[in-house]
Amino acid sequence: MSVVWILFVSSVIVLPTVALLALRWAVRHGEFKNLQKTALSIFDEEEPVGRMTDRFPGGQRSKSSQP
Amino acid sequence: MSATSPSILQALSPSDTEDVAQRRALLAEIDASCRGTLMLFFGTALVWLMIGTVFALITSWKMHSPDFLADIPWLTFGRVRPAHLNAVVFGFASEAAIAVTLWLICRLCRAPLMHGWVVNIAGVFWNIGVAIGIGGILAGHGTAIEWLEIPGYATPLLFVSYALIAIWGIITFRFRREKHLYVSQWYLLAALFWFPWLYSAAQILLIMEPVRGVVQATVNWWFAHNVLGLWFTPIGIGAIYYFIPKVLGVPVYKYSLSVVGFWSLALFYNWNGMHHLVGGPLPAWLITVSIVASVMMTIPVVTVGLNHHFTMWGSFHKLKDSPVLRFMVFGGMSYTVTSLHGVLLALRSVSEVTHFTHSTIAHAHQGMYAFFTMVMFGAIYYIVPRIIQIEWPSARLIRIHFWASAIGIMLYIVPLTIGGTLQGVAMINPDVPFLDPNKYSVVTMTVPYLKVRSVSGFIVLVGHLAFATSFIWIVARWIKAARQHQPAPIVSNV
Repeated sequence: MSVVWILFVSSVIVLPTVALLALRWAVRHGEFKNLQKTALSIFDEEEPVGRMTDRFPGGQRSKSSQP
Repeated sequence: MSATSPSILQALSPSDTEDVAQRRALLAEIDASCRGTLMLFFGTALVWLMIGTVFALITSWKMHSPDFLADIPWLTFGRVRPAHLNAVVFGFASEAAIAVTLWLICRLCRAPLMHGWVVNIAGVFWNIGVAIGIGGILAGHGTAIEWLEIPGYATPLLFVSYALIAIWGIITFRFRREKHLYVSQWYLLAALFWFPWLYSAAQILLIMEPVRGVVQATVNWWFAHNVLGLWFTPIGIGAIYYFIPKVLGVPVYKYSLSVVGFWSLALFYNWNGMHHLVGGPLPAWLITVSIVASVMMTIPVVTVGLNHHFTMWGSFHKLKDSPVLRFMVFGGMSYTVTSLHGVLLALRSVSEVTHFTHSTIAHAHQGMYAFFTMVMFGAIYYIVPRIIQIEWPSARLIRIHFWASAIGIMLYIVPLTIGGTLQGVAMINPDVPFLDPNKYSVVTMTVPYLKVRSVSGFIVLVGHLAFATSFIWIVARWIKAARQHQPAPIVSNV
C-alpha cells in the first residue's frame, strides 16, 4: 500500500501546492496586470495586428471577403 | 523584467533590443529548430491516424455485421476496438498534441528548441512503444481497462519517452526570451504536468499494483475522463487561443475571461470522472461531488466559448479564405457543444437513460474528433508550411479534407446521439425485449444508426486520405527542394 500512499500524498498535497505556487508566482510577476498587453503579445512587426496570417494556398480569396 | 517601455515592440519583449531583421531571423531560427522534430511527430501521427481509421471502420462494420472478420482472432471486436482507440489517442492525437505544444511553446517563449535530437529519440521510442502496445492488444495481451489497454510491457517506454519530451518543453520555457506568459502557455504547461501525473497514477493503481473492486472502476474513470479534460482539452484550447487571434490578426476578445477559464478548468475538471459511474456501487457522495463539479464546468466552457465567439465576431466571412480558421472554429464550437452536452449527460436523470448506450460513444467522438482532432488538423495546416518554408500543394485537397471530416463527424454524432438516446429509452422500458429480430428490440433498433455510422466513417476516411495526400505531397516537395538547393542555413543550437 506504500505506493498508494505516495500517490495519495502527491495528489492531495503536492499537486495543489504546485498549483498554489504557480498562482503565487503569477501574481508576483504581474501576470494578471495589464491583461490587454498580454493579449497583444502574440503579434509583432512580422505578423502585426490587423493582418491575416493564413490563406488557402495560391492566395485564393473569396469574392465576398474582398474589401 | 519590471522595466516598462513605450513601444509595443519593447512591451512584447522588454529585454529585446534586436531590430526587425534580427527578430525575423529569430523567428526563422525558432521554426528551423523545430523542423525535423515536428515533421517526425506529424508524419508518424498521420500514419497512426490512417491505421486508427482502418481499425475504426472494421470496428464499426462489426457492430451491424458481426460475422465480418469474425474468424480472425487478431481482428475480433474485443481487440480491434481498443487497437483503434489507442492508435488514435496515443498514436495520432498525443503525437500531434506534443508537436503542436512544442512549437507553440517555442514561438510564445521566442526560444528555439534546444538539442531537438533528444526529442527526436524520445519520439522514435514513443512510436515504438505505441507499436508494441497496439501489437500486444491485437495479440490478445490488452489489459481490458478502458483507455489503458496497452499491455504493461509497453507502457514504461511510453512514460520515459513522454518524460523526456515534457522536460524538453519545460527547459525551452525556462530559457524563454518573452517573459510574459500568454494564456496558451498556461494551458500547455499545465497539460505537460497533468498528463504524467494521470498516466503514472493510473498505471500504478491499475496495472502495476492493481487496486480491487469498486476502486478499480473509480481510478479507471478518473483517468479516462481526465486524459480528455486535462491532457487533450488544455492543448486544444491553448491552440485555439493562439491560432484564432493569430490568423485573424485580432487580439482575443477578453483576455481576463481566458484567465478565469484556465483556473476554473484546473479547479473543476479533475473531479468529473465519477459521473461515468452514476448508478454504480460507489459511495453516493463521490458521484454527487462529480456531478456538481461537472455542472461547475459550465464556467470554463462558457468563458472559452464566449471568448472564441466574440473574437470571431465580424470575421466569420474570413472562414472562406483560411483553412486553419475553418478547422479551429469548427473545433472551438464543437468544444462548447460537447462540453455543455457533457454537463447534461452527467445529471442522474439524463444518465439513467443515456448510460451504456451509443450516445456516450457519440459524445466521446465529439470531444476527441469534432473538437480536438479538428483543432490539431488546423494547427498542422498552419505550422508545416512555416517550418519547411513550402506552401501546401493543393487548396482543393484541404477543402476536401475539411468538408469530409466535418460532414463525416456530424453524420456520426447526430444520428448516434439520437439512436443512443432511443436505445436508452428502450433499455429502461421493461416491455421492450433486448433482442428479438421480429419486433422492436434494444439491439435491432440500433442497427440503422450503426449503419449510418459506418457510412460516416467512410466519409471521414476520404478526408483523411486527402490530408495524407497533401502531407506526402508537401514532404516530397520539401525533399526535392532540399536536394536541389544548397544546404539549409545552419541553425545554432542554443
